[in-house]
Amino acid sequence: MSQTEGRPAPVLDLRAIGKRYGATVALQDVSLTLHAGEICGLLGENGAGKSTLVKTLSGVVTPDSGEMLVGGTPYHPHTILDARAHGVATAFQELSLVPTLSVAVNLFLPRPGINRLGMIARRRIEREAEAILSAHGIDDIAPATLVGDLSLGVRQRLEIVRAMWRQPRILLLDEPTAALSDREWLFDQVAIAIGRGASILYISHKLDEIRRLCRRCVILRNGHKVLDAEVAAMSDDDIFSSMAGRSVVETFVSVPSVVRAGAPALRATALRGTGVDDVSFTLAQGEILGVAGLEGQGQSFLFKSLVGLNSLRSGQIEVLGTPVGLPSPRAARRAGVVLVPEERKTEGIFKDLTTSANISLPVIGQASRFGMLGRRAERRLVERVTPAVDLAARYLPLGIGSLSGGNQQKAVLARALITGARCLLLFDPTRGVDVGAKQSIYRMIQQFAASGGAVLFYSTELDELVHLCDRCLVVYRNRIAGEVPRERLSQELILSIASGRGSAPPGAGAPMELVS
Amino acid sequence: MASPSISAGFRRALSGGPTVVAVLLFVLMFGIYAERTSAATTVFGITNLLNDAIVLAIAAAGVTLVVLTGEFDLSGVGVIAITNCVVATISTAGSYGWLSSLAVVLAIGAGVGLINGLLVAGLGLQSLAVTIGTMICCEGAALLILSAPGGEVADAITNGLTGDLFNVVPVAAVILAGLCAVWLVFKRTRLGIAIFAIGADASAARLSGVNERRTRLAAFLIAGLCYAAAGYMLSAQTGTGDPRANDSLLLFMYASVAIGGTSLMGGRGGVVGSIVGAGILTVMQKMLFALGVAEFYTDVFNGVIMIVALLIGNVSAALAQQMRRRAA
Amino acid sequence: MSETSVLDAPVAVRRRWLSPEMAPVLGVFVCTVLLMISIRFVSPGAVLLAQVSSILVSAIFLAVASFGQGLTILLGGIDLSIGVVMGLGGMMISGLTNGTNDALIWALPATLAFCAGIGLVNGIGIALGGIPPFIMTLASATSFFGLGLGFTGGAAQAPVAPALETLMSARALGVPWPIWLLVGFAVIAIAFQNGSVTGRKLYALGSSPGAARVLGLPAAALTITAYTLSGLCAGIAGLLIAGYSSAATLNMGNPFLLPTIAAVVIGGARVTGGRGIYLGTFAGALFLSTLETMITVLSLSQGLRDLIQGAIIIFALIAQNSRAGRNPT
Repeated sequence: MSQTEGRPAPVLDLRAIGKRYGATVALQDVSLTLHAGEICGLLGENGAGKSTLVKTLSGVVTPDSGEMLVGGTPYHPHTILDARAHGVATAFQELSLVPTLSVAVNLFLPRPGINRLGMIARRRIEREAEAILSAHGIDDIAPATLVGDLSLGVRQRLEIVRAMWRQPRILLLDEPTAALSDREWLFDQVAIAIGRGASILYISHKLDEIRRLCRRCVILRNGHKVLDAEVAAMSDDDIFSSMAGRSVVETFVSVPSVVRAGAPALRATALRGTGVDDVSFTLAQGEILGVAGLEGQGQSFLFKSLVGLNSLRSGQIEVLGTPVGLPSPRAARRAGVVLVPEERKTEGIFKDLTTSANISLPVIGQASRFGMLGRRAERRLVERVTPAVDLAARYLPLGIGSLSGGNQQKAVLARALITGARCLLLFDPTRGVDVGAKQSIYRMIQQFAASGGAVLFYSTELDELVHLCDRCLVVYRNRIAGEVPRERLSQELILSIASGRGSAPPGAGAPMELVS
Repeated sequence: MASPSISAGFRRALSGGPTVVAVLLFVLMFGIYAERTSAATTVFGITNLLNDAIVLAIAAAGVTLVVLTGEFDLSGVGVIAITNCVVATISTAGSYGWLSSLAVVLAIGAGVGLINGLLVAGLGLQSLAVTIGTMICCEGAALLILSAPGGEVADAITNGLTGDLFNVVPVAAVILAGLCAVWLVFKRTRLGIAIFAIGADASAARLSGVNERRTRLAAFLIAGLCYAAAGYMLSAQTGTGDPRANDSLLLFMYASVAIGGTSLMGGRGGVVGSIVGAGILTVMQKMLFALGVAEFYTDVFNGVIMIVALLIGNVSAALAQQMRRRAA
Repeated sequence: MSETSVLDAPVAVRRRWLSPEMAPVLGVFVCTVLLMISIRFVSPGAVLLAQVSSILVSAIFLAVASFGQGLTILLGGIDLSIGVVMGLGGMMISGLTNGTNDALIWALPATLAFCAGIGLVNGIGIALGGIPPFIMTLASATSFFGLGLGFTGGAAQAPVAPALETLMSARALGVPWPIWLLVGFAVIAIAFQNGSVTGRKLYALGSSPGAARVLGLPAAALTITAYTLSGLCAGIAGLLIAGYSSAATLNMGNPFLLPTIAAVVIGGARVTGGRGIYLGTFAGALFLSTLETMITVLSLSQGLRDLIQGAIIIFALIAQNSRAGRNPT
């Protein structure tokens, strides 16, 4: 417990904040304080409630219960502007810049300077924008450029500058280094802001950043605050186990995969296309191949390319030794390759269908006669796969929209299994999933591999990759920057390759690209 | 590889492709029309053409604002019907009937726009379905005001709005020029920027502090005012009231917007393009008439040109995206 | 397993006695019955049974055409060509048969194929051309209306094949044939929408186009199917009207277009797609037909009629929204 004795009243004081979305508890009874000049780290796995907390503080989300105080007075922001008026500014993880507007206009939204006619005073705000940018150590962005024409990394810097230039009392940085190539720039800016007396809530799940910047850190898990302590007093393992809810060793039952001989389940050769640059790899039957990378390094495009959702310019894909085109998800499914996509809400589930209908959809033809559904046959098909993902039968007749994130994801995985897939492409399958469901998903992955299936597994949680995978590819700037074999798998090595600093070990799939 | 500024400029020109295509089409069709009709290029002919186009142009300007925010608004035809009936009923009362009827009409337009805006922005209902509802209500109200075509529009309106200033400059041209000028200022105001921002990326705009509800509400409100003004202009032209709006008007309003290069997904386009679009559609009617095409076959053309305009828009947008991808 | 998850616990597995889909439908049916009964008070001379029978007979056009509208709305689209297609269907069958039954054998399939063809064109423009549904259907309606006008010169087509007239006026087992047809159609429609593989896929596509894409559902084919069926249903409705009124005009379908949308919305379908059942649309169609009779009995003006219809659509949307607000899914 952080002790406030002898210190002035906190700048920010959250008391028992709660927020639910339908059946999902996003935040429950979360209390947190932030003192003047302090950087407090906020850690948690994906879906732990970090982003909801940030949105609550910045006026985007209204909490269901609890109380917030800023500078000792009650704080009920209803909009971003309310929050700004109270000196609270946020750099959002999802980058809140409007792509069709210029850098200058974006910096001053929603009230850019105007002239007597009420028109945007373009030249004036561009001059001001230039001054602001250079005051924050950026001199390579023209203020008149459209944001949509800028790279992701530059946009991330702009997002941070936009939050900082008004010199807020409280600065919220939500995963500020996700797309950033130059972390030192951020650390300098943070130091300047602190020098001015600002307080910062620093959201990240990168431990090294937390250790470097923060004295204190708060950990959220499943919407609850589980830890609030000095960073120095904790080991990495303490922090990881608080985040995961159990010790890392306990979480993963290590089952070394039996890589089967014979033709590889999936072989990609020199794939090139949008977001994919000269990617080659081989995935053997019975193998769990991890993919790691920082946000936006092409991993999403790579997964989509493998099922034909992202068009490739060149390259070859072989399934079980046979070259295939895979021009569409349907063709991929026929070849036994199934993607479990990133966006569960919009690309995974069919929110208005029942859980059972969600699972049976790809094979619904098998449960029908003359085009009419056979409910009993459908139930039999579905119940054949639900045990593999620990999905309770009582959920099957319910609308999938009323299920928790974990059960929804189990249903999506069950749907992948019901097609008789031999190769699963899992894109961050444990995002926003509770601990129990994670266990089920790990077990399902291991059983699937043990039965000879092949898994390509991307995760934002590095410990999952380290403990589940037989090998791990690391992507950086749309390429495979390195490959780490099981014996050498560690979060540090993956991170150093993923951020473009480390060197690829010998035998890597593709040559390492140097950072400019 | 081309320098970034050139390729960016080219991309922008291409994504505004329909406007370029549209202007060429306009010139071509006007040429055929002028070649067949001797009076086409006289002041009278031009005035006539502008008068035919202006109702559609003003109504399409209103639609454009709503479409830029990424919503649809079908209530325009209903508002035009009501306002036409109102003007035909009350504008002849007293010597300032033209003014009082204008005020009433604008209040009606604002009222309908406000209702649409509150239902869409306030309650979050789907705009297409809501505005179909308000459209039917408005048409019903128009029938209650005037159960059959009739009534009379004050001379001050018919003469004042359809003639020429100093016998040279058509009043309609002045109004259209004014509309363009207002738009060019408006799109650079904070509200204008907010409308574009919401249409381009609503969630980013919201997180940037743009008040989404108020902006959408304002777009529907201004659109309502535009429809009312269009109805007023229509009354000036017909000199009478008709509770049944022209069947093709709804299609034409959206055709003008689409031909003018405004994306129906929101965030891209503008009023000037829609005015050009309205001009094209009007010239097309004139051309078909000049060519002696039977009236019912012009309906066929009207439907087809709408589809073709949108297909061209989609293809050029796809091309622009391809170029962006190449450039990336 | 050491701890139960916080996320797992609060999911309500309790089954409601009435599914959320059925609640609004039941409400609409109750309103319809009340409205039918109240007609008696407005016009004391009317015999209830006869009144109900004539309402049901007149409901068939709307009930049939609304099924197609419901399918397009299920995909988050809309079909604004239904009125014109109804008119064209009626005109074509009358023009081709010209008062004899002999031609019916080929005129019937030809007419239905033509109407389905208009839907097919709509579906192709929407699915493959990326044109917004309301514009595509409005544009094609305008074009085909022009063609119809060109071929017929706008004249009414009569007489209709006697068999069609008989169909719409004869009785079987004391019940008018149209009511049998209505019931038969409803059974087939419900079986298709909620019992067939295609129906299930339509729900899936309307519910989440993104997930449908990842899963590889044939989105274009499904979209085209929905609009083709919508054209077909509008064609059938057109045939029935022609038989009912012994003549066909090009404009006779227009008054049905907006009621088809109203019927679907009243029945609880979500206009953004993915939700709604035909039984609801059916109830909506019955309700609107009863209302129409009521309006006729009260001899309300066309203006009030429109106002009421528009208001009903808006209120149905608001009611739906507040329901959705109460139990988020």
